[in-house]
Amino acid sequence: MTELSTAISPPVAGTTTSAVSIRGVTKRFPGGKGAEPVVAVDALDLEIEDGEFFSLLGPSGCGKTTTLRMIGGFEYPTAGSIQIFGEEVGLLPPNKRPVNTVFQSYALFPHMTVAQNIAFGLEMQDVAAAEIKERVGNVIELVQLEGRENRKPKQLSGGQQQRVALARALVNRPKVLLLDEPLGALDLKLRQAMQLELKEMQERVGITFIYVTHDQEEALTMSDRLAVMDHGELLQVGAPETIYDKPRTRFVADFIGDTNLLTATVIDGRAVRLSDGSAIRVENDRPVGSTVTVAVRPEKLGLRRVESDRDLTLDAIDGHVERVTFLGNALAYEVTADAGDPRATLRIRQGNAPGVEHFGVGDAVRVRWAPGSATVLED
Amino acid sequence: MSVVDTGSGAGEPVSEDSVARPRRAVERLLAGNAWMVFAFLYLPILVLAVLSFNDNRVVGIWGGFTFRWYGEMFADRNVMGALRNSLYVAGISTVVSTALGTAAGISLERFRYRGQRAYDGLLYLPVIIPDVTMAVMLLLFFVQAFDLAGALFGIDARYGIGTISLSHIAFNISFVAVVVRARLAGLDGRLEEAAADLYASRWKAFRKVTLPLIAPGVAGGALLALTLSLDDVVITSFVAGPGSTTLPVYVFGLVRRGVTPLINAVSVLMLVASMMLVLVSLLVSRRQGE
Repeated sequence: MTELSTAISPPVAGTTTSAVSIRGVTKRFPGGKGAEPVVAVDALDLEIEDGEFFSLLGPSGCGKTTTLRMIGGFEYPTAGSIQIFGEEVGLLPPNKRPVNTVFQSYALFPHMTVAQNIAFGLEMQDVAAAEIKERVGNVIELVQLEGRENRKPKQLSGGQQQRVALARALVNRPKVLLLDEPLGALDLKLRQAMQLELKEMQERVGITFIYVTHDQEEALTMSDRLAVMDHGELLQVGAPETIYDKPRTRFVADFIGDTNLLTATVIDGRAVRLSDGSAIRVENDRPVGSTVTVAVRPEKLGLRRVESDRDLTLDAIDGHVERVTFLGNALAYEVTADAGDPRATLRIRQGNAPGVEHFGVGDAVRVRWAPGSATVLED
Repeated sequence: MSVVDTGSGAGEPVSEDSVARPRRAVERLLAGNAWMVFAFLYLPILVLAVLSFNDNRVVGIWGGFTFRWYGEMFADRNVMGALRNSLYVAGISTVVSTALGTAAGISLERFRYRGQRAYDGLLYLPVIIPDVTMAVMLLLFFVQAFDLAGALFGIDARYGIGTISLSHIAFNISFVAVVVRARLAGLDGRLEEAAADLYASRWKAFRKVTLPLIAPGVAGGALLALTLSLDDVVITSFVAGPGSTTLPVYVFGLVRRGVTPLINAVSVLMLVASMMLVLVSLLVSRRQGE
């Protein structure tokens, strides 16, 4: 349970150090005629620290975009409080908030040039013309758009438009930058390049980034911390490693990465018994004899030949290889346990490194389970 | 090898022929139809234009080429008075209805409020109800309003340019709203959010982002309003007062006493004015496309 507690951000009460502090925020949208109102965000509590790259991750309709839009001021919370650096902003219009947004479709002004687009926010704040010129020049350099100042957004590629959108927001030096799936419209190669670039840029400018995405890989790659949401609720908040290695619920385990979900019975606080009778060491705080779900990542399991494995049968499941898929950098196996009703199927992934033994379909194997690699889910 | 040869060599012309031959006949028929429609529409205009240069008081008989009727037209105080009234009414009603219609279009497209659906439906009514009905409605309204104004404030309101302008504003608002709204519907709402996000107040966001982007729609609506106002006869003739006739109403009155070359000349003038409006609107929409 000690590991699990780090997965939940500690409740910080009344501090003003958080970049964004969301407390008890609920957003209900009116339903159709006579229908119940739709709860998009349900009693959300969230603290986002200064200088963090924070991601809101979840499937579409999970409330992540609504949350971001409430921070930006495009939606007002039905209940609760939103503070930006200690200042209550819940009901302020967007133009009165010290945040800027990079929109999903960029929302560049089509009738203005790149430079005019970027200068817009500064002009609206009545910044002196000379300063506008200097700051726009600097930010154009930052996003590497030199020489394209006088183009219209339509004349730019998707990646360049993305940079303009970023520059247009960053030039205002917001306290918090909100990004609503900004890479969604780009192709894979460009998206991966932009992921690195965004992360680098965030470290350089030191601004808190709040990043909404449904792409779990993106969230894991870029974030300092991330929150997984579903049905308007926060399921887990933590560092990418924590979320990946110690998912708290079935949804989080399943949504992020590939995972094996196995039914087991609790032996004691340190071990459970799987359906095939094998004992596995997993820290847990469940009552003895209760049924739980254990999650383990395919790459954390090892495969050995039964006959060459002389270790104890603790932390091991005997089975037969059902399927092998060659992935280039790795091999994916499906192994069915020899005992149990129903027989458990395990997915195992082994790196294609020298010295790693390859197995064929039908081979009798022992699945090795390193202590601490599995976690007991709450549901 | 031989199979490939017959496929690419002999096969192609055959298939092209079998598809193309019947289409050619249909194409000819369609082209013929287009020309007939074209002639049907434009021959009367040609006749009108030619006869306006006819140096003969009897319209049907050619008496040589002359600019006489145009000279008479510009010298005719009635025609010029009616033209002045027309331009005045068209100017006022275009400006006012464009402003109000644009506001109506924006309110329907961008805001949500009580009674919006009813307002939405009712706004389009003037577009679909017959001119005569509209005219009678407006006349009844003015009768009642004038009675009330007289009884309450002792104001002696009269029919004239004022009532005509109000009536034209009333029916033009709907047309402007429809055109502006169509343009707004194609505009990404996030642009306005982006403007607000970049510290623009509502008014600044409208001025700097929304208005420039819907400008072609607003211009289109204004041109439509101008055109509709310039050639309205039915409604104007109901709500016009003595001495406040517009050009189309004046021409309509003249025709009842027989078609004269003067009427032809006035009609050509109006025709040229309309064509110029169409030209302007085409230029506007082309600029918008760029």
